[in-house]
Order: sequence, then C-alpha cells, then structure tokens
Amino acid sequence: MAKKSSSATPQYKTKSSWGAVLKRDWQLYLLLIVPVVLVVVFNYAAYPGMRMMFMDYKPARGFEGSKWVGLETFAKVFKDKDFHRALGSSLVFNLLDLLVGFPMPIILALMLNELRFVMFKRVSQTILYLPHFLSWAIIGSVAYTMFRPSTGLVNIILTNMGLIKEGIPFLTEKWHWAVTYLLIGVWQGMGWGTIIYLAAITSVSGDLYEAAMIDGANRWQRMWNITLPSIRGTVVTMLIMNLGRIMGSNYERLSVFGNSNVRDFQYQLAVYIYEKGLSGGKYSMATVVGVFQSLVGLVLVLLADRIAKKLGEDGLL
Amino acid sequence: MKKTNLQRLGAIALTGAMVIGLLAGCGGGSGSETTTAAAGTTAAAASEETTAAAGEETTAAAAGEETTAAAASGEAGMASWQPFAENVTITIPVYDRGQEGVPDVTNNYWTQWIQENFGDKYNITVKFAPIPRSDVMTQYALLASSQDLPTILMEYDFDKVATWAVDGYLTEYDVEAFAQIAPTYYGKMEELGLTQYIELNGEKVFALSERPYYDTPYTYVNWVRMDWLREVGYDHIPATRAEYLDAMQKIMDAGLSEHPGGGSMILSGQGADQNYGYRTFPLNEEDWVKYGDYNIPSLGYEANKKLLKFANEEYNLGITDPEYYTIDTETAKANFINGKSYKYGGYISASMDWLESFYEINPDAELAVEVQSLTEDTEAGTVPAYRSDNPFGMIIGFSSQATEDEIKAAQMYMEWMIQPENLFTMQWGIEGETYNMVDGVPTSVPYGEQPSEYKQGYNNSVDYWCVIVASRVYGTAEDSIRTTSPQGLPVDFSDALIENYHNKQEAAKKGWAVTDCMFGGAVEGATEYGTELQAKYVEYRDKLVQADPAEFDALYDQYAQEYLDAGYQDVIDDRMELYNEGLTTHLAQ
Repeated sequence: MAKKSSSATPQYKTKSSWGAVLKRDWQLYLLLIVPVVLVVVFNYAAYPGMRMMFMDYKPARGFEGSKWVGLETFAKVFKDKDFHRALGSSLVFNLLDLLVGFPMPIILALMLNELRFVMFKRVSQTILYLPHFLSWAIIGSVAYTMFRPSTGLVNIILTNMGLIKEGIPFLTEKWHWAVTYLLIGVWQGMGWGTIIYLAAITSVSGDLYEAAMIDGANRWQRMWNITLPSIRGTVVTMLIMNLGRIMGSNYERLSVFGNSNVRDFQYQLAVYIYEKGLSGGKYSMATVVGVFQSLVGLVLVLLADRIAKKLGEDGLL
Repeated sequence: MKKTNLQRLGAIALTGAMVIGLLAGCGGGSGSETTTAAAGTTAAAASEETTAAAGEETTAAAAGEETTAAAASGEAGMASWQPFAENVTITIPVYDRGQEGVPDVTNNYWTQWIQENFGDKYNITVKFAPIPRSDVMTQYALLASSQDLPTILMEYDFDKVATWAVDGYLTEYDVEAFAQIAPTYYGKMEELGLTQYIELNGEKVFALSERPYYDTPYTYVNWVRMDWLREVGYDHIPATRAEYLDAMQKIMDAGLSEHPGGGSMILSGQGADQNYGYRTFPLNEEDWVKYGDYNIPSLGYEANKKLLKFANEEYNLGITDPEYYTIDTETAKANFINGKSYKYGGYISASMDWLESFYEINPDAELAVEVQSLTEDTEAGTVPAYRSDNPFGMIIGFSSQATEDEIKAAQMYMEWMIQPENLFTMQWGIEGETYNMVDGVPTSVPYGEQPSEYKQGYNNSVDYWCVIVASRVYGTAEDSIRTTSPQGLPVDFSDALIENYHNKQEAAKKGWAVTDCMFGGAVEGATEYGTELQAKYVEYRDKLVQADPAEFDALYDQYAQEYLDAGYQDVIDDRMELYNEGLTTHLAQ
C-alpha cells in the first residue's frame, strides 16, 4: 500500500541534480553552514597545532622557534609513574561512573514516563534537571559545607541524632570520597540524561500499550516488555557514545573535590594534564596525553559499534 | 506569503550574524596579525621618530662625556621624552588577589590617573593585565601562548623569572638605552648595587626594583590571642616550643578553642614550610645552595624533616585543625576572626580589614604582635631565624613579544613612576581623602573609610607601585612603620611593630636573616620539574603531618626518596653545578 502511494507521486524525482537540490533547499543549507563552520573551526582548524606533540613547544617561542624532538615527549609520558597512576585512576573511576551513572537516567526516564499527574511530572523533571546547570565550583563548595567531618551539616545532623559518634569523612578519606564523588556525579547528571530517553519514549506507539493492556499486562510488564525494548536502540547508541569518554576526565569536577588525603584517587588524567602540562607551561606533554585520551576513546567507540552491530543492533556509524 | 518572506529574511540575517560572529571570534590570529602589522607600521613610523630621537640622543651623547652628565643636568630622562608619533600600547601586569571590596584591578581611579598623567602626555595607552596571585605561572604561560604577554613581566621570585628567561618570554634589553630613558630608575639600581643581578646566562634581562630593609622584613606580622594566654596563666607569648605546646594544651583544656593551632592547606610554590628556623647555624654553604629555596620545598633536608615532625606532633595533639588540608586561606582568616584560632598573620598596612573585623566580633579580646624572638630554643633545637628577602623587590623583564617602542614606553612608565611626586601619589593617594598629614607625617585613612571614588587598591595600591619599591618608605624605618601601622583599631600596634623591627635588626646581626642562594644561570631542573614537585610536596607533607608518629621517620624517608626521583635530585644537581662553576651568590660571612 505504502509503496503504491510513493510511486504515485511522480513529481518527486528520485535522483536530483546538485543544483536543483540546492535551489530547492537553499535555506536549509544556509542554516547548515553554522554547525559545519563550528565543527571545522573547533575540531579541525586546531589540528595543525598538534604537531607540538613532536616538539619541545615553548609558548613564547611559537612553532617556528621551538625544537623538534621526535617521540621524546611520548617516551617521557609513557615512562612516567605519575602517568600510570593517573591512567589507572581515570580508568577505574570512569568505568564506575559508567556503571553507576549510565543506568540511572534510563530508570529515571522510565519512572517519569509512568507519572500521570502532569504538573507533578513537570515539576519533578525541572528539579531533576537543575543540578546540571550548577557549576562544579558551586557543587564542590556546597558539598564541602555539607560533608566536612566535624563542621559539615550532614555530619552534625547525624551526630545530633545519635546515629554516629564521629563525623563520616565523606570527602576526606579516599574510599568514602570515591563513593561521594561518584554519587554526586550521578546526582548532577541523571536528570539531564533523561531528556534523550524521554524523547525516545514519546515515539513509542500508543497502540502497543493499548494492546498490552487489553492482554492484561500490568505496569511493570508494559515497561519491561514495551518501553524498554522500544528505546533499546537509543540506549545502545548512548552506551557507545559514553564508552568514548572512558579515558576522559573532568578537571573541574576533580579539582573542586580534591584535597591531599584523597589524591590517590583524585589524581586522574585531567589533574595530570593540568599540573604537569598546563601549569608548568609544558603544552607538548599536555597534548600528547590529550591525543592519547582521544585515540583510546575513538578505538573504544569503533569497537563497541562493531560489537553492537554483531549483536544485531543498529550501532552508531 | 509576506510572513514567510519575513521569516526567511530573519533566518538569513540570523545565520549571517552567527557566521560572522563566529568568524570574528575565531579571528584571533588575523586580529593579532593586524596588530602586528599595525605595530610594524608603528615601528616603521617610529623609525623616523627614532631618527629624531636618535638625533637627540646623539646630542646628549655629544653634549657630555657620558649620559650621566646629561642626566644630571636634566637633559636625559623625562626632560628628553617626546610623545610617540603614533599611539603605543603597553600592558603592565597587576596581581589580582581575589580580594573582596577592592576596586577592579584593571580599571579604577588610579589606573585612569596613570593614563591621564603619564599615558596621555606621551601618546601611550597603559593597559593592565590581571595576574591571579595564586597561579602566576599558568597565567603567564597562557598569555605567552596567545601572543599576549604584557610588555613587562615581573615577579618577586627569581626562579620564576629565570624560567621565563629560559622559555623565551623575555628579551635582552639595551642597558645603556635604558639608562638614557630612565636615568632615575637606573641610578637607583646602581646606588643599591642591584646592577649585579641583571644578567642571566650572560644576557642582560632583568631590571630590579627596591626592597627597603630587605633583611629585616617587618611587613609580615603574626597576631596572637593574648587574652587566651593570660587566661591560662601566661603573661607573655610562649618563647619556646615547650611553652607553646603547654599553652595550646591549656587553651584547649580551658575550652577556649577546640583546635587553637588552626591551620590551612598549604599553597604550593608560595614559600610553604620555610625551614630557616630549623637549620643548624652557622649554615653549611653547600646545603644552603642545594636546599635553600622559596619555590620548591626541600623535602629530604634535615631542617624540613624537623619542621614536619613538629607539625605532625601538633596535629596528633589536636592543636592543629584535623581538617586543615581542606581549609583555604579565606576560611582560615574567618576562623581567626570568629575566635576559633590562636594566631593569624598578614602584611601590615594602614587598613587591615581582618583586624577590623576581628575587633568588631570580639570587642573584648586582646591581641598581641608576635615580636621577633632573639633566643635560641636549645631544647627543641630551633633558632629564631627567618627568610631575609632578596636584596631587591620586583624582578622585571621585558617581553620578547613587545616591539622596541613598547619596551621604550614601558621604560618610560618605570621612570615616570619613580619620580617622587608620582610615587607618593600612587602610594598615599589624595590628601583629605585617602590620607591625612598628622604632625607632618602622612597617615592613611582606614580602607573602609576611603571614599569609593578614590579608593586605593590592595595594600595601599602596592601592586601598581611595586615596579619601583616593595613597600612604602617615609623617613626612617620607624617612621615608615608608624605610617603603615594599621589604623582605626582600638589598639595602636605601632610600638610593637617597631620593636619587632628592632629585634629583626638584632637577629640579622646574629646571622639569622637568611637570604636564599641566587643563581646566575637557569636551574634547568627547577624549570622542568618545579611545578610538579610543588604539587607532590603538598601531598607528601600532608600525609606526613597526619601520619602516626611511630611511622613518621620511615614514611619521611620513603617520600623523600620518591621526591628525589620525581626530579628533586636534578634540581639539586643543577644547582650544585652552577655553584661549582662559580655562578651563584655566596653565604654572607
């Protein structure tokens, strides 16, 4: 039926010349210029600058005045004990972030979708989005005010309630810190993360739910058997994209929660790049690590994409 | 239809605006090219001017045996300056200390005053570049990479400027031309014997400002809670370590403070953990060369070990706040103001906001100045030694990215600023508004009471006039102290501050004022590993301070070794190499 109707509209040519397409949709192409320019300028125009990886780059001397050193910087970085330490922490924490942080928006989206009282749903959504708009600097200082062992609000309340005798070192002992750090990360990002899943859920056909309800499926069954499978493609896409960030790290987040007692865990690649690279003016070193992070991220994305396709999913590329 | 057209038009306009905006935003490169081109033009135009100026210079040179004669007769220096044919822009760095309540550091009455009285006269635009006080090196690195270095670069620490010189931030300058343009400034450098420090690796790169009374640094002072001491039976500030520990314990027992020692996280690279008092005197010169440093703390040195052992003891006794490593300077200050800690220190100035706040909150409290001690504590094995400042204040270099004209204009700025009338106005402000003459001596109006229109910058605008001198001088040292002593408090601390200064003089005579070794070549290890060693030190020292006392020694040795491996050994080796080559200063005998 559908085929028939499409062939019944001969005025649309299947093959159009470039010129005709351009003439027809020129407004759209004009609008496309902006994102394309953005990508070119910010993602590609800086590429020639990466040659500083092979130089002993000194900002004041510029590219012309700096010496070429071949792979010396790479050797230095990969032999550096601090790099190994930062790499280890980054990997562990990003994996944990993924493990804890990835499912949360999905669960939350499913739950929000089930809310029937529209006002309540909207208000909850807004409240959940809000942390995303707070800067890490604010989150960090609020967290310290709340979680300091002796003067933090949470510990004072717990102590006064008689639940604990000594303040819990939420941010000043590394294992406690790890949990607090991860949970605050989840809290900050989960609301915002639901947007994409909620959008995917709206495209699920209402007929399916109706049919299921007629068949006597309860809420859980509908969620499990209809909603979740329907957004599986989105989930897989998001997972692949998140895998690309497994090497990345957010300096702001690490910096605001840092203190010398938790440095074993807090010393991740972003901190390494900032301390050894940027503040020491060693841009070559910072670039080497940055490129390494990106390359590993790229490989992981490609690998995950391939696996997803093998498992019968659409994949990303 | 009309509406659709309108929408289209709107979309096109918006898209166009975005693209143009984007390209304009990213046009830094082309922008700077234009600037360079413009600078080129200026240079070209200036070359004509230079010919004219050169004519004058030749006249000056011909007129007398040497420029000095001309300078003496008032022919060189400001008298010989002509306005630039085309406007020249210079950028002067100014510390942004993140202080609340001070005027915008780059644009305020005083920056405008400089522009009006100096810039406009010579067709120079004077701009100020804010430098975060706690992150100087990163800021300069960023400025360098965006080809935006200020015309002059300045810092109090030799290591930092040496790093800049090695990394190509600085350019060698023509000292003779400088003496022509700025004879007063250069004359002052000669008079103070500072010209011996202008070279690094055989290149003349530094100009140096004055540091009055450098071996008796009286401007940084600690205040302590005398009322607490009296309450626990002390009529004096503890003079020995045993007394100190005893007093702190009693203060805690009396419930006056939970952790009187307070404490805050240490800031790397800002003179953290100075160990002069823990060294063995007379000093061993080689140790002094190897470990004496302001920037890179000397983990592994006996004196540092002793210092950290004491800190560890205080931590374990509960004197130090157990969460000190999460407390920043502002919180530490607030803790003192709120009566939680025993001691706090700062630079003295006529308006000290934290002392004012302290007395507002604790009107009945009694504070005392911690006066320089003159007795050795043989039992604890410490000496009341302290870090003497460098014999100079700011170490100034000229940017390698600046044009000749810009450097000339910057040198004119320095010469203009050193003129007594200009310096006085910058340091004191306007009579009747920011200072008053009391018995013929200028006395600053307390900071809070200065009219906002004329309000001075931090510490009487020190970050503007530091290019000339590190602290205000009026008459004798005692006069200067009186004029800088905090005003508007219930107690006048002038006498105590003067006593502190006199004691410092005594201590200096005994050889307890230690000036760090200075190097005539770049210590490459320090350039290479400096910043990361600073970060490492913070981590190690905090672990050591919080360690179980029984494990302290073993842990110290372990961290000291790791610190050496992380680059400190290179730093030491490079320093010793320069020492063996005769390229360092020596211990005063």
